[in-house]
Amino acid sequence: MSLKKFSELFGDLDSINSTNNKIEVLKNYFLSNDPIDNSWAIYLLTGKSNKRFISGRYLKNIFSQIYEYPQWLIDTCYLKVGDSAELITLLLKNKTNSRKKKLSNISLNELLSETIPALSKLNEEEKNSEIKNLWETLPEDNHLIFNKILTGTFRVGVSIGLITKSISKLINIEEEIISHRLMGDFKPSIDSYEFLINKNINLQELNSKPFPFLLANTIEDKIFKNSINDFQFEWKYDGIRLQLIKRSGNVSLWTRGQELVNESFPELVEKMSHIKDDFVLDGELLVWNFKEQIAFDFSLLQKRINRNSPTRSIQIKYPIIFIAYDLLEINGRDIREIKLENRRIELEKYFSKWQIKTENNISNIFKICDLIFPKDWPDALNYKEKSRENNTEGLIIKKKTSIYSSGRKKGIWWKYKVDPMQLDAVLIYAKGGSGRRAGLYTDYSFALWKDKELIKFASAYSGLTNIEIKELDKWIRKNTIEKFGPVRSLKPEMVFEISFEKIQISKRHKSGIAVRFPRITKWRKDKKIHDANSLENAYELMKKIS
Amino acid sequence: MRTKQEYLIRYKDGNLYCELADIWIDPSKPVKKALITHAHFDHFTFGCEEYISTKETAMLLKERVGDNIKIKTFEYGEEFKINGINISFHPSGHILGSSQIRFIFAEEKWLISGDFKLQKDQTCKQYEIVKTDYLISECTFGLPIFKWDESNKIANDISKWITNSPEKTSLLFCYSLGKAQRLLNEIGQTNFKGNIFSHGSIHKMNNSYRELGIDIKDTIKIENKKKIDELKGSLILLPPSLSKGYYLKNFKNIQTAFASGWMSIRALRKRSGYDKGFAISDHADWDGILEVVKKSEAKNVFFHHGDSEALSKYLVEKESINVLLFGK
Repeated sequence: MSLKKFSELFGDLDSINSTNNKIEVLKNYFLSNDPIDNSWAIYLLTGKSNKRFISGRYLKNIFSQIYEYPQWLIDTCYLKVGDSAELITLLLKNKTNSRKKKLSNISLNELLSETIPALSKLNEEEKNSEIKNLWETLPEDNHLIFNKILTGTFRVGVSIGLITKSISKLINIEEEIISHRLMGDFKPSIDSYEFLINKNINLQELNSKPFPFLLANTIEDKIFKNSINDFQFEWKYDGIRLQLIKRSGNVSLWTRGQELVNESFPELVEKMSHIKDDFVLDGELLVWNFKEQIAFDFSLLQKRINRNSPTRSIQIKYPIIFIAYDLLEINGRDIREIKLENRRIELEKYFSKWQIKTENNISNIFKICDLIFPKDWPDALNYKEKSRENNTEGLIIKKKTSIYSSGRKKGIWWKYKVDPMQLDAVLIYAKGGSGRRAGLYTDYSFALWKDKELIKFASAYSGLTNIEIKELDKWIRKNTIEKFGPVRSLKPEMVFEISFEKIQISKRHKSGIAVRFPRITKWRKDKKIHDANSLENAYELMKKIS
Repeated sequence: MRTKQEYLIRYKDGNLYCELADIWIDPSKPVKKALITHAHFDHFTFGCEEYISTKETAMLLKERVGDNIKIKTFEYGEEFKINGINISFHPSGHILGSSQIRFIFAEEKWLISGDFKLQKDQTCKQYEIVKTDYLISECTFGLPIFKWDESNKIANDISKWITNSPEKTSLLFCYSLGKAQRLLNEIGQTNFKGNIFSHGSIHKMNNSYRELGIDIKDTIKIENKKKIDELKGSLILLPPSLSKGYYLKNFKNIQTAFASGWMSIRALRKRSGYDKGFAISDHADWDGILEVVKKSEAKNVFFHHGDSEALSKYLVEKESINVLLFGK
């Protein structure tokens, strides 16, 4: 019932690999602790909205001031550890007086609802001395958790699914119900925990909460053996997946990350509230080019996502649209168990009713997705190839007879994405990684030829195997030309195949181009640097696509 | 100020070398005369005409590589002369028989720390503070993030780790010489009373330690095809080289851990692929290195075996100690 217990739980979860054991450990933890601390534990473990009270940099600065450590030494250590909270924990070892540990039994609730929030009311000097005081009065074993909570970086290898399973086991209720209860913003309190473990299922309480999302799998060849008529085809939009819920007159917008985003998109909430029926829709939110009737690039949507209460002019500059592709509930009736093709009929029926019957015009912010009707699989491939023209990522292929189940269920929905674009580029810079990749050079920059010069065009972090990362790390250390802080410039020698999704003109980059989602797809050890592509090749690629 | 060539001890072909005595320290290639600080294989190479070490190191080496090597031995503190240079071994606290080596020539003292630690270890002699003018120190863990817990705390953690999973076989990976025996000695003093098995390479070293009078817990030599039921709830010590490969297929329902100073960092622990890491080391931590540098009263310090950049800068800025670089 304390921070101490929670620290032990973290230690256990961090060193157990078996899922079943993790569930067992969690179940026992919930059984032996207070409801209020349990609710905080769930809040932290699910990482729903871990608030950052102070930044990692600030934490390092305070430490440097209090214990008179040079900043450069702390920065050097950071490269090895890769996590500010853990770094400071390691540096704090044996620094604090063990006789002053009067907070050794502080409850999670007290720490999280009183002690830490109180920090933000203090001025800088008071804050620093209070943090020092907490370091000195909390047991050393709890410093890691404390520092992680402070910096909002608490994370452990526990998924929401795992929490769901352990609570489901604890009270013997189906996972779906628990998963439903855990959706949305979980506010830690005795009530929220009691609600979670309540053995009576009360529909009213679940009112604003979304259903678990059904996710698509990457396409597999075996699907092509089926008749094309068994499937419904849609464009795969590159926006934010949303469930748009209207129940008892209230509209809520839920992302797949289980965030309520009503405040970012007030115009959508307002318009949808004029519809007379209650419903749950599954769809995509996009910034929409109304003139050409296609989606704008995802980067424009980013300008809306993290902005609460956008001004009128922002709303006009980045006009949004919600494209529904499924109807999950209508006027209180859960229709997830009926076949997709029938749900689609319902969706179309209600959509046209709403268009006619709703007093305010809703069609400038809400539509249902168009279906595509390829005549055979080669034709589907043609559609897929055309998807770049309308700014989509490919196709979504859904089995007409499927029900709306939860998670990434096999064999129901498939994504058929356009092949990535590729260029061979030369590795020219490397930077130390963080987190699990600390102490290794894992962030790379790649260049293309322009005349006889190599010009940086993309940075990539992912795509290599752990063995390749280690091998490349060794090579990097031996072939460094210069070090600038954590970055090393390297002897141009290694060629990599870089794949990306989109390529466009960018004035911000020296290369004049920007690519989206660059990643390493092959270490071309067979290629010499002269075989790498040039910027000219990149421009050609761009022309070919537009 | 003298040039690098004029130092009594310097780096030559990647090894420490004293030209005046024509003697090498822990050379990595065959030479005429080699001083050996301790019996780990990364400090020993075959084919030298003559080795010089402590009595314990000589015995451990012969146990590991056979009797076919010529080793001259000296006691700790016993001085011997080569070409007018006084040389002596002093305990370094790393493993049984490990030593620092001191050179005195024309009233100038040089000290090679060897691998060392200051922490308590009942399986070898405690590190001895030796005063010197020039110190050549290892700095494997030369960053302030490295601070070791008391070894009995680690042993208790290990004991808990095993007893908390009575259904499992607990495989603890550690270096066969030194670390394994230190762990056995410590685990012997915990509440863990189950069976302990050890791999042949470790078992052999355990016996050598016992012959040299060190108190360590009895272990059973592990054989392939042991019955799974027999191993349930017990501890098995294995060398790290066996952690990746088919050997593990001999066991069912296991949990694995690695005992090493590097395990104090979560990222390394996660990347290592073991279920758990116990941060216990036979090298000095940051405070240990600083303490040795200060107490040795050395005016000039060289570092090797590690990333010395930050440590050197810290000593120069904070402690005004002259840190020199070897031309490698």
